[in-house]
Amino acid sequence: MTGMKKERKPHIPRVLRDPYLLAGAFMTLTALLAVLVGLFWTPYSTTAMDAAERFHAPSWRHLFGTDNFGRDIFSRVMKGAGTTIFISSLVVLFSASLGIVTGAVTGYFGGVVDEIVMRFIDAVNGFPSILLALVMISILNSGRHNLILALGIVFTPSFARIVRSEFIRFRDADYISRARLMGVGKLRILFVHILPNVFSTFWVSVMIGFNNGILAESGMSFLGIGVKPPDASLGNMLSDAQGYLMKAPWYALFTGLSIVWIVLGFSLLSEGIRRNAGEVSDER
Amino acid sequence: MNDKVFVQKSMIQIEDLSVSFGSTDAVKNVSLEIAKGEILGMVGESGSGKSVTALTLMGLTAESAKITSGRVCFDGVTLAEAGKPRDRALYREYQGSRMSMVFQEPMTSLNPTQKVGSQVEEMLKLHTTLDRNERRDRVAESFAAVGLKDPKLLLDQYPHQLSGGMRQRVMIAMAVILHPDLIVADEPTTALDVTIQNQIISLLREINRRENNAMLFITHDLNLARRLCHRIAVMKDGRVVECAGTEEIFGAPKEEYTRSLIRAVPSRVNAVPGGRKEAQSRGAVYGADGAGADGRQPVLEVHDLHVYYPESAKGFPGRKQRKCVVSGADFVLYPGEVLGLVGESGCGKSSLSKAILGMNREIKGTVKHHSTRPQMVFQDPYSSLNPSKTVGWLLMEPLRAAGALDKNLLMSGQEMEERAREMLARVGLDERYMSRRPSQLSGGQRQRVSIGQALITRPGLVIADEPVSALDVTLQAQILDLMRRLQREMQAAYLFISHDINVVYCMSDRIMVMKDGKIIEQGETEEVFANPKEEYTKALLKESYTG
Amino acid sequence: MRYLVKKLFTLIMTLFVVSVAAFLAFQIIPGDVVDSILGTEATPEREEQLREELGLNDPPTVRYVNWMTDVLHGDLGKSYRYSKSMNEMMPVAELIGDKLPVTLWLSFLSILIIVVISIPLGVFWAKSRSHVLDAVMSVLTQFSMAVPSFFLGILVTYFFGMVLRWFIPGSYVSYEKDFAGFIGYLIFPAISVAIPKIAMTARFLRNSMLTEMSADYVLTARSKGCTERRVMYGHVLRNALMPVVTFLGMIIAEIVAGSIVVEQVFALPGVGRLLISSISTRDFPVVEILVLYITSVVIVVYVLVDLLYRLIDPRISHK
Repeated sequence: MTGMKKERKPHIPRVLRDPYLLAGAFMTLTALLAVLVGLFWTPYSTTAMDAAERFHAPSWRHLFGTDNFGRDIFSRVMKGAGTTIFISSLVVLFSASLGIVTGAVTGYFGGVVDEIVMRFIDAVNGFPSILLALVMISILNSGRHNLILALGIVFTPSFARIVRSEFIRFRDADYISRARLMGVGKLRILFVHILPNVFSTFWVSVMIGFNNGILAESGMSFLGIGVKPPDASLGNMLSDAQGYLMKAPWYALFTGLSIVWIVLGFSLLSEGIRRNAGEVSDER
Repeated sequence: MNDKVFVQKSMIQIEDLSVSFGSTDAVKNVSLEIAKGEILGMVGESGSGKSVTALTLMGLTAESAKITSGRVCFDGVTLAEAGKPRDRALYREYQGSRMSMVFQEPMTSLNPTQKVGSQVEEMLKLHTTLDRNERRDRVAESFAAVGLKDPKLLLDQYPHQLSGGMRQRVMIAMAVILHPDLIVADEPTTALDVTIQNQIISLLREINRRENNAMLFITHDLNLARRLCHRIAVMKDGRVVECAGTEEIFGAPKEEYTRSLIRAVPSRVNAVPGGRKEAQSRGAVYGADGAGADGRQPVLEVHDLHVYYPESAKGFPGRKQRKCVVSGADFVLYPGEVLGLVGESGCGKSSLSKAILGMNREIKGTVKHHSTRPQMVFQDPYSSLNPSKTVGWLLMEPLRAAGALDKNLLMSGQEMEERAREMLARVGLDERYMSRRPSQLSGGQRQRVSIGQALITRPGLVIADEPVSALDVTLQAQILDLMRRLQREMQAAYLFISHDINVVYCMSDRIMVMKDGKIIEQGETEEVFANPKEEYTKALLKESYTG
Repeated sequence: MRYLVKKLFTLIMTLFVVSVAAFLAFQIIPGDVVDSILGTEATPEREEQLREELGLNDPPTVRYVNWMTDVLHGDLGKSYRYSKSMNEMMPVAELIGDKLPVTLWLSFLSILIIVVISIPLGVFWAKSRSHVLDAVMSVLTQFSMAVPSFFLGILVTYFFGMVLRWFIPGSYVSYEKDFAGFIGYLIFPAISVAIPKIAMTARFLRNSMLTEMSADYVLTARSKGCTERRVMYGHVLRNALMPVVTFLGMIIAEIVAGSIVVEQVFALPGVGRLLISSISTRDFPVVEILVLYITSVVIVVYVLVDLLYRLIDPRISHK
């Protein structure tokens, strides 16, 4: 046991010294903390308006200043980020699970179904994704649930495509041919033999997908077809803020930087994990 | 250096050369000389430092490589020396014009987006003052000189339009166009088929005679070195362990490592295969054509088998074109017998084995199995084990699968683990390996696990498709030995596929020769080797004859 | 040649599928269009009359064929919302007409900025062995990809428009009146669209170059006695640029998407803004045509990129 400890000791600091991982973890954790606290408590009410408090510049009293209705921007960012992260997570959950099943089945079995599904996926992928989401919203009507559904459907093809190409790659691997010769069942080959090998690639695309989800949600809400006021979302706040860019530049700046904080933090974190994952698994 | 007088002037002197990458030494205290008109063979397994030595000589090593001792002299001029940074400008005066190099992979060594003509022409552009037309004429001449047909037409072709052999000829034409004093050839035939290999070797020999230049021929294949080189330097772990005339190396090797290398070469002269005697006795029973005289049930019967490869099945469905890759294969395989299948790459060996295992459905004819679940051992040890599993899991999976298919074969976890441990010991790995993953194993160890995985359910038939081709020579011998031993212990029948007729000789009781999708000759191994009937078989035997 | 025919065939097929999808999508919308157009003025007779007028009584296949025939003849239908005069509905073609060039120019300028900046940057990045530059560039890349284009648009408006006063936000001039002024204004939204893609493209080119630099043919070139310069520009760059062409083709859709959003920020009268407002007002004939139109542009660009790739890569064109 002591021998093992000795081997591990130099290993931990190296991972922790990685600047990507450190910065990413810090940014993601603070963002999550703010959002979690925001679920139960915010420094000020996020809806109460107060004409006397309009357009206060950032100060210790109002960290991010106040908006055109005298609402505390920091409090609203806490709520709005929560909405954004919540929606993005559900979008990724929805699209990733649908994508895994579609990709696994089409990739492994191939044939006519694969051909049709792929043609469809190719067509969808060629579309600007935001356009597709816009069209879906215009059919479904705007609103939180429809937004999740629309973005979920829009994001599914890219997951399916990645999983599919991985399954195709492994379908013809020698060790899968051998598993077939041993008489291993199809489902077991799909989910026990192939899936664990797909995860490393898939995990990366889930993290990218999460960030794209945040960008897409805030984009849609910014355009006024996602989450609608009075519900706060970083996107619709930024849209409001644009109108007061001259009078209250901090409104747009802090709201926008909050989006950057979340997205950058998460992409640094995932990049850090990716860079260290290789080392960790090699040393195992 | 200049004040010393040499009787026979050396073109190249490498003195006490050491090269390191960071903290690892790739080359250690190597001293070599190559005289004008001489071909020096440098033989060693991968990682022995032979390529690094050659690249250092050519001034082509990566930035991270440092010369830590010694120097490299070319025709009396010191090109590189320990402690001095590389003098690129000095090297450029020699690179191309006075020394040139031929690499292993003719596909990737040529720029894929430039016409081969202009790539050779660049040599002339860099080192001569000829105008465009003169240059093109010279390139066409040099193409003709290395035996390329239609040289004028070739000028405007791209690398992918040429075959592997043609590309290597283009590389050689590029290397000799300026009549350099030194040509370094780094495994120039490894990526090529046997017959092409021979042509390239002859071409190099002819060039050496014509140009009377010095040549450094690097190879892992002792046979090749023997056929081409005047002297041979054997390298191991960055050192030259022995350097002497070719006859001397083979006749009276001084070092144990050299002897082991020579022994490892599966040659008919020094092979003492244990299977040999048994084969002879069995041959008497089966008869020369393999027909079962004693009425024993064969494990595999293949009758008039045609295998097709779907061409351009995409795009226009319905109008399927099929290319016939195996035509009219006809043979049987008996329990406990090893049947060798030999042929060059692309002759249809692998398609045949896949068809037998039902991995290719585009077939005509009959394949009858009389054993349960035949298994397969593949060539590439890196892709034949699932990287996300442990060795123990991998060895137990065949047992689990068998249990799921047949209740009689169901085993408890403990039983399976015991079987796996036992198998692991049989393939020569100890218990610690149970929890390792494939990424933690060497190529040879992986192939051992692969073999164990194939044999753990005691199948009647195992197809081994080039199981040692991806391994170093010394490892090859070990793995072949293991396969032979396990085959006898477990009474499995092997269909043993290889492009190397010597390897097949060591393993097989009977042998089939395949060419262009057809089995052109089959019979008892000894019989085929003693009296080959087909011209092609004779050619194969002649090329691979090692003494 | 056979390739061209095949490609053209798939192009037409894809457009057909898209048009059917765009058409069908708006058939399943809940709520009656006629009600929403007439609003309080609705009487059964007027509803029936309008229904007849809009052709809503025909079965969907007939309506699709009619719609498609009209579209192919240049009649893009009429807007439900915008009217030309009191009794005449606005033809979609007129509505879109002067908005198209704005979006096209915006996308084109963005691509131009991306190419002009990212290619030299990528080459420089690949050539320099400096760890400092590496670190700075990777942070910049990460950062620029984390900034959404609309926020970038707001930042550009604020710094260039309000702080530096290089342009006056909202002072858009039509390309018909003053082309130079039009482009001068468009540069700023184009920068907002381009910045995230510049970083991505430069990184892509750099990685592609690093891959090529370790290729065997580079060793061959060096063994001939080529200078490093010659190795880089004579051999490596061309091979490294090929995947970049494909990459640029792939991000075209994203650039168009970025343009749609950024138009909103800079109050540009392009198709993006029209699309957004038509979606909010449920003006389906306009949405249908815009979707069909934007998709066609993207698909045609894909095919062009593919053809270009075939032209510059001998490995494909000479097969």
